Amino acid sequence: MASLIACPHCGPRPKEEFTVRGDAGINRPAPDAGKDAWYAYVYLRDNPRGRHKEHWHHTSGCRRWLVVERDTMTHAVYSAVDAAVTGETV
Amino acid sequence: MADFSLLHRAALAGAKSGSFGPTQADGGITLEALPEGHVLQVLASPDAGDLAASIASVSDGSVYAVRAVGPGQWFVVGDAGLSASEFAKTQAALSGRASIADQTHGRIRIGISGAGGEAVLAKGTAVDMHPDQFPVGRSTMTLIGHITAMITRTAADRFEILVLRGFAESLWDELIEMGLEFGVDARTAP
Repeated sequence: MASLIACPHCGPRPKEEFTVRGDAGINRPAPDAGKDAWYAYVYLRDNPRGRHKEHWHHTSGCRRWLVVERDTMTHAVYSAVDAAVTGETV
Repeated sequence: MADFSLLHRAALAGAKSGSFGPTQADGGITLEALPEGHVLQVLASPDAGDLAASIASVSDGSVYAVRAVGPGQWFVVGDAGLSASEFAKTQAALSGRASIADQTHGRIRIGISGAGGEAVLAKGTAVDMHPDQFPVGRSTMTLIGHITAMITRTAADRFEILVLRGFAESLWDELIEMGLEFGVDARTAP
């Protein structure tokens, strides 16, 4: 796993300071979206090879949620931006 | 008001003190338990705008009293205790723009000074402690070993660490150990 994450608020920090939540591209369905949509939202995850956007929480730093884009194969980190930035999560 | 007065005990009163490691000509590392005056946590409202000047007004005016944690979050620290009415005044000063929580009981300040201070902290944290990257006045929240703490540089060879009270003695012991090669003078009495 990527070992240095460039937090936009704190600078480069080791992964030990972060908590990973998982896929940042999953959106909560409407309350009446039906069983299948909710089952997929709660349980089903892709396991992509290559670029992947995830939510990372800087638990031992600024305590902000970030969207980190990294490569699951090479561990390269492409970007880390605050999750509150408009457009990062729909 | 409380029905009885609480007895204040310094968090590091029972911690290790004295000299550790070799005695150095330059004095080595000095660890100090700093006065448990006040620690206020300030959280800005989402639409508060720039609060930097207003937050300085609730501090005691000393140079590094206001320490940024992250976007819209600060710690305000000082050596003097705040009475309930003084604390209420700070809340009123930022009313509507930020909320202030009294964390005096929750976080402890440790001073670390001496030429080797940078090297001691670098053993525990991944933050680059070089003066170019971490100049005087800079604060940051990070891990020191497995303990989350805030490091502030208050002079070229002086740092202050703000740590949760329950972890203070554990961090204190680790700092003594990390400083052994430089010789440590540990002073628990504020």
